[in-house]
Amino acid sequence: MDHLTKLENESIFILRQAYSSIKNIAMLWSLGKDSNVMVWLAFKAFLGKIPFPLVHVDTKKKFKEMYAFRDKYEKLWNLNLILGDCPPISKIDPSLPPAARSAARKTEGLKKILNEKKFKGIIAGIRRDEQNTRAKERFFSPRDETGKWDVKNQPAELWNSFNTEYPSNVHLRIHPLLSWTEIDIWRYIKRENIPIVDLYFAQNGKRYRSLGDKDITKPVESNASTLDEIIKELQNTKTSERSGRLMDKEEENIFEKLRSKGYM
Amino acid sequence: MNFKQNSEDTLRVIIVGHVDHGKSTLIGKLLSDLNQIQEEKINDIKKICKTRGLKFEWAFLLDALKTERDQGITIDTTQIFFRSDRRNYVFIDAPGHKEFLKNMITGATSAQLAILIIDGLEGIQEQTKRHVFLLSLLGIKDVIVVINKMDLINYDKNKFADLEAQISKYLKSINIKITAIIPISAWNGDNIVRKKTLRWYKGKVLLEVLDQFKDNAVDHGMPLRFVVQDIYKISEKRILVGRVESGKLKKKSKYVISPSNTKVSIKSFEIWPKSTKNEYVTGECIGLELNEKIFVEKGNVLSEITRSPSLTNTFEARIFWFSNQRLRINKKYKIKINTTDYEIIFSKIKKIINIDDLTEKKNDDVEKNNVADVLIDSESILCIDNFELVNNTGKFSVIDQFEVVGGGVVKSASKSELIDSHIRINENVKSEDFFVNEIDRVLKVGHRPGILWLTGLSGSGKSTIAKEVEKKLFLKGYNIFSLDGDNLRQGLNRDLDFMPESRVENIRRTAEVASLFVSAGFIVLISLISPYKVDRNKARAIRPEVFKEIFIKASIEECEKRDVKGLYAKARSGRIKNFTGITAPYEEPNKPELIIDTEKNGILECSKMLEKFVEKEFGKK
Repeated sequence: MDHLTKLENESIFILRQAYSSIKNIAMLWSLGKDSNVMVWLAFKAFLGKIPFPLVHVDTKKKFKEMYAFRDKYEKLWNLNLILGDCPPISKIDPSLPPAARSAARKTEGLKKILNEKKFKGIIAGIRRDEQNTRAKERFFSPRDETGKWDVKNQPAELWNSFNTEYPSNVHLRIHPLLSWTEIDIWRYIKRENIPIVDLYFAQNGKRYRSLGDKDITKPVESNASTLDEIIKELQNTKTSERSGRLMDKEEENIFEKLRSKGYM
Repeated sequence: MNFKQNSEDTLRVIIVGHVDHGKSTLIGKLLSDLNQIQEEKINDIKKICKTRGLKFEWAFLLDALKTERDQGITIDTTQIFFRSDRRNYVFIDAPGHKEFLKNMITGATSAQLAILIIDGLEGIQEQTKRHVFLLSLLGIKDVIVVINKMDLINYDKNKFADLEAQISKYLKSINIKITAIIPISAWNGDNIVRKKTLRWYKGKVLLEVLDQFKDNAVDHGMPLRFVVQDIYKISEKRILVGRVESGKLKKKSKYVISPSNTKVSIKSFEIWPKSTKNEYVTGECIGLELNEKIFVEKGNVLSEITRSPSLTNTFEARIFWFSNQRLRINKKYKIKINTTDYEIIFSKIKKIINIDDLTEKKNDDVEKNNVADVLIDSESILCIDNFELVNNTGKFSVIDQFEVVGGGVVKSASKSELIDSHIRINENVKSEDFFVNEIDRVLKVGHRPGILWLTGLSGSGKSTIAKEVEKKLFLKGYNIFSLDGDNLRQGLNRDLDFMPESRVENIRRTAEVASLFVSAGFIVLISLISPYKVDRNKARAIRPEVFKEIFIKASIEECEKRDVKGLYAKARSGRIKNFTGITAPYEEPNKPELIIDTEKNGILECSKMLEKFVEKEFGKK
């Protein structure tokens, strides 16, 4: 079995296992490339119809192309989409550096919708190779009601045997894309012909490698305007995927700090 | 970078070893020599080291957590991705501290190969052995050993050879295959990607060994296990979704669903957007619709009719324990196996294994970080396999309330292997009513029963060959059992001596026992000198249709030269009377079904001959 098919099967297995063992589950749809791959894998796992809602936690600061994409594919893919809103920046911990503080709005938005809908499982498209605290994640990762990630005492996760038994105040973050790398995602998008937002393709010597809020996300220098060119570019790059995400650079452990409070 | 687009294979490698033996430095150096670390990451590490007033530390590449960096230890396992010219790699870094063993095991359960790192100065330490022992338990059979910090011991050939001998011995004792042993300096980058010129080491560097490694975990000829993960109802269709855990699933075959033991056939494969194949293999997640309308639930197993899993509610397992609370006998736990969970109790602790010297203790408590052999009882019938036979349906995790407290592998599920629904429903059946006849058993195990009667002089190699063939065929799924003359004499035949009359009785009893095994569907290997033709013929007469006489041939001179048990010496000095070949006769068979000459052939060839013979005569087809 080839590498992409192996990854695909692992993700399908995780999605099915999550759905069969957790009541009241939802999937985060951030409109980015990884998220779209995840939705695609859910179509495969559930044979064409996703049996739980998709949640877009909307900071209201996304690019207009992203909103257009959302409206189009919500209809085309016949999704059960729930929109969550985020509190204003004034309600967020002022001790955080500016970009991180802005990103933390999304954490609060997520917690809010978790509380409202009483979700016990949230499927999120994070990957190990994106960021080195994400590299330490489990496929099924427990969080308490405050969203706290107890990173110093994560549960054992043996083989593909995922524990889903937790006290009632705990919800699980499920990470079906954990084993994928950035280039795997692009190769799979190409193989499966998965739609993505145009911002990933270069225009006038720049493209977005990773999409976030428009005020804290910067494009990178690039002339890659097709899938093949992007894949080729990634084979040779020495800059990181999140180099355009301003929050990552503000403090040494800022990402861990955000994640331990419930960021994805 | 000259990266070949098509080398899309990915190897998952775990790095293990004692604390501070250089795991992180090795990974850092390997990636940096392969030119695969992003500049910003190097700058990050420099910044982190500067803030803490440290010299450059590769550990910060992987130790992402603040506590890890502040305390200078690895707490949790992490994974890092890179590629060589040959293939993609995922390196799994595992914590070396004993306290974080559960994290190390979490990392190890996804690895295909391990690198064991040993500090050339400190030598083999507690965690060195503990880690590799656990790897072997988890089914990782291949290890690359690197002896690190060679620069600090002046590339001393003798020190290297000494460590090499020690670790080879230990790894051999736990059945781990050493792919290579390499002297390295992770800090200098010697023999990792770049070769260090040494007069005494002409072997490969680490990267070459990694690039050339072939994962031999082949799936050829394995029995089918499709484990049901869920049942979806989509527009009038009832679709069983699940993963092929072993073997191949073909559209046109007949299958059986366990534990209900119902025969089924596949109506259609259900894949989105559409199924394009008639056959699915190990690792594939699929959906299927059956022709039969039957009750199926999560955790049920679809298999070939003649090679179904063991159905049992009691089995023996080897477990590892990482809870702070010790294991309690007869307390209710849950195990997670085959996508679902079952309530169980541990009914008996058979032994605790000391990982350091592999000594065993009986009747002791299972505490944090222990490995133990235990008996497990379950309320419901489980469909499982011996881990050695089918990995994926023979491993489980143990849950106590909300916590994963340990895990394990099935060592033996054979106790009630032959229980089928038939018998369970009719629990009042008296033992003399043979409810299950031989034909039923043959259908279930997929081979015919038989008696292989190995005759020959003492020391000719009967037991050695029998043991080897028993192991090989057992792993191929045969119901096979070896009866040894020496062992029988310790129990059943304890009252018999070596006088001719007693020898006759010894053979009669053995043949009768073999006959019972045949009724139970087994292939029995009997290793018995059985020197007299007349007695062997009597034995044959009990079950002539399945009796095969195998002559294990070696001259008396050769056997006496071997004298493994020291018996010939005793016979010569008169301390043993009536010793076959010396003071009692041995009558060679006239027309044995097979002659195996152990003087002309090595042990492996000899066992291969017998193995082939058994498969040809009684085999699965």
